Amino acid sequence: MKTRIESVEDIVSSFAGQGYICSEQVALAIYLAAQLNKPVLVEGPPGVGKTELAKAASAFLVAPLIRLQCYEGLDESRALYEWKYGKQLLYTQLLRDKLGSMLADTDSLDASMARLGDLGEAFYSDTFLEPRPLLQALRSDEPAVLLIDEIDKADQEFEAFLLELLSDFQISIPELGTVRAKHQPLVLLTSNDQRELSDALKRRCLHLYIPYPAPELESQIVSARVPELDGQLRDQLVAFIQYLREQDMKKLPAISETLDWARALVLLHADSLSQELVADTLNLVLKTEQDVTLARELLPGWLRKFGKR
Amino acid sequence: MPVRRLSEFIRALRGAGLRISPDEASQAMEAVALVGYEGRARFHDALSVTLVKAEQDRLAFETTFSRFFDGETAEQGADGRESDSVGDAASILPADLLAQMPDEIQSLLNADANALSQTMAEAAAAMNFTDMQVITQQGLYTRRLLMSMGMGAVDDQVIQLSQGSATQQAQADQLREWRGRVREQASGLVRRQFLLHGTGYGRELREQTMRAVAFRDLREFREVQALVRKMARRLASLHQRRLKRSRRGRLDGRRTLSGSLRHDGVPAQLHWQQMPPRKSRIMVICDVSSSVSEPARFLLQFLYALNDVLPQVRSFAFASRFDEVTEDFSRYSPDVAVGRVLDRLSGSGTDYGQMFEAFWRRCERQLDRHTTVIILGDARNNALPEGAQTLAQIRRRVRQVWWLNPEARSQWNSGDAVMDRYLPYCREAHRCANLNDLERAVDRLLLSLKRSD
Repeated sequence: MKTRIESVEDIVSSFAGQGYICSEQVALAIYLAAQLNKPVLVEGPPGVGKTELAKAASAFLVAPLIRLQCYEGLDESRALYEWKYGKQLLYTQLLRDKLGSMLADTDSLDASMARLGDLGEAFYSDTFLEPRPLLQALRSDEPAVLLIDEIDKADQEFEAFLLELLSDFQISIPELGTVRAKHQPLVLLTSNDQRELSDALKRRCLHLYIPYPAPELESQIVSARVPELDGQLRDQLVAFIQYLREQDMKKLPAISETLDWARALVLLHADSLSQELVADTLNLVLKTEQDVTLARELLPGWLRKFGKR
Repeated sequence: MPVRRLSEFIRALRGAGLRISPDEASQAMEAVALVGYEGRARFHDALSVTLVKAEQDRLAFETTFSRFFDGETAEQGADGRESDSVGDAASILPADLLAQMPDEIQSLLNADANALSQTMAEAAAAMNFTDMQVITQQGLYTRRLLMSMGMGAVDDQVIQLSQGSATQQAQADQLREWRGRVREQASGLVRRQFLLHGTGYGRELREQTMRAVAFRDLREFREVQALVRKMARRLASLHQRRLKRSRRGRLDGRRTLSGSLRHDGVPAQLHWQQMPPRKSRIMVICDVSSSVSEPARFLLQFLYALNDVLPQVRSFAFASRFDEVTEDFSRYSPDVAVGRVLDRLSGSGTDYGQMFEAFWRRCERQLDRHTTVIILGDARNNALPEGAQTLAQIRRRVRQVWWLNPEARSQWNSGDAVMDRYLPYCREAHRCANLNDLERAVDRLLLSLKRSD
C-alpha cells in the first residue's frame, strides 16, 4: 500500500487515470480517511459510482480490495468467520483409529478427557477457520481497502456489531479472543438510504454524499469512459439526461445508465439524438414502463427546444 | 485561524440544530489542520465531510458556514456598503480642533473606513459573543464593543463640545452623527454574531415552547412543520422495523435436518423459522369539528411522516359527516389536506354513535387482529346515543383500540362528554393536548406494535 499520499490533487489525477472522474470533494474525503484513519460512509442515489470509488481507491493505494456485500439477515458467520464444520468432521473420521489408539492406554474416563483436552484446541485452530471478509481485512498482511457495500440492507444488529471494527479496528471472537488489525484498512461503507443508519455508526465515520453529477462533470465522465462518442452528441446526451433528472420520475437515470446509453449509441453509429433513435433506446436509460412513457411524451418538446444546436 | 474560531463555529452549528460530538469536533480540527485554511472550497469540504452526517443537516450547515465565514471577511472591510457609510471623522472637523484632542481619539477619528473596521474587528475578536442568548442583549454587547474600541473618549468629547460655543455645538452635532454611524456598524456586527450564537438558544427555547403549547396556539409558530418532521424522524429511527428475525424464535427442523446431511447428520448449523414481516395496520378516526381539528391535523401529519415504520395507515374524519381521507393525505401536503377535509366534512354536531356505525359498515371486512384503531376526539356527543355497543363490536374484531382526547382528564366526562362509556373498550386512552403528549402517545403506540410480532 502506498503509505504517503502527497495531496488531494494526487488522488484526483490518479482516479482520472483510471477513468474515475470525481469532484474534488470526493477525493478530499478519501484523502482525509487515509490520513485520519477513519472509515468513510458514502451515501448517494444508486448508480453514482459509490462502489466504483472503492475500486478506484484500492487501485490508487495499490492495496487489495476486500468486499462485503450486505443483505437482509447477514450475520457474523457470513461476515467475520466460520468454522469449517465439514473439514472438522472429516478429520475426526479419519483420525478415529489414531485417537482410539492414543486413548487405549488410559484407564479412566477422566484421564481420556484430560488427554482429549490437550488435543481439543487442535480442532479450533486456524486450520479449521474460514475467514470471511471482515477477518480477512483485519488479518491481511498488507493494508487493504475494505468495502462494506449497502450497509443499509443489513439488520440493525449487524450495524451495531460493526461499531467495534470501525472505531478500534478490532473484533472479538469468542474462541480466539480479540483480533486486532495488523494494518489498519481503509474502510468504505456505502448506503442507499433504504433506512436511517444509527447515530453511533455515523459518528464514527466521515460522511460523503455523492449527488448526481453536474453537466460538466458528467460530460467529462462520459468522455473518459466512452471516448469513441462524438463530442457534440455527448453534450446532447448529457443535456437530455440532466433534463430527465429534473422530471418526476420513479427511478432517475444515474451515471451508469448514461454510460450504457453512450455505449449503445456508439454501437449504433448515431451522430445526433433523433426522435426515433431515442424512442428505441430509451429503455436503456429508464427502467420502468411509466418513466419510459413519460420520457416519450417529453421528448418532442425537448428536441424542439434544445435538440437543434 | 485559531482553534477558538473553529470551536465557535462548531458551537454555532450545534445552535443551528446539528448534533456534533466532541469526537467529531476534534476530527474536524484534525482535518482542517491537514488541508489548511487557504483554499476556501477545500476548507469548506473538509468541514462538511467531518461534521455533516445527514443530508437533512446540509442546508443548516451551508447557512451557518456562509454566515460565519463570510461575515468575517465583511468585518474586515471587504463589504463596500459599510465602508462607504463610515468615512473618517477627521474630514468633518477642523484640523486645529483635532490637534487639541487626546491621542487615542485622534487615531480613532483619523482612521479611514477600512482601518476603523479593522479596529472594530480586533475589539470584537477579544470579546466572547457565544454567551449571547436573547435578542435584547444586542444593545448591551454593542455598547461593550464600542467601549473596548475606545469610543468612550469620543463620548466625553461630544459632551465637552456641546457645552461650548455655537461653532463647537455644530461640531458636536457632526461628531455625534459620525458616532451614530459607527454605532450602526457595530450593531450590525453584533447582530450577525447574535444570529450565529444566540439563535441556537432561542431555537431551543422556542422548540420547548412549541412542544408544550396547546395545539390551537401552534399556528402562530412558523417552524412547527420542521419540528414535527424532526420528532417523527427521531421516533422512526427509534422504532425501525426489524427486517428479519433469524437466530431466534422457533427452530426450523426441516431445514436444519437437511442441512445436517452435509455434516454426516450432525446439526452443525441451526436454521430458524423466518417470521413473516409485520402487517400492522393503523386506522385513525379523527374528529375534525372546530374544537378538535388542530390536534387531528398534527396527529395525521405525524402518522404520515412515520411512513417508514407504519406503511399502512388509513385515516377517516368526521364532523357532521363521516368519510375516508387517506387519499387527501397521500396526495397533498398535510396543511392542504386538512383544509380540503375541513371543506368537505365540516359542520357542527358530532355524533359518535353514527360515526361508529358508518365506520363499521365501511371497514368491517378489513378489521382483523393486525389492526389498531385510534380515535381522536373529545367524546362530546351532543346528548345523542353514544353507540358504545358498536365500539365494543369493533374492539372484539381488532387488536386494540386507542383513544386520544385533546382535553384534560378531568374534563373527559364534563358536560355532554361521555368518555366513561367508551373507556372500557379502549386499551389505552391518553390526553393529547400538545406535541409532547402526541409524541409520547405515538411512541407508546409504536412500542405496542413492536411487541406484538
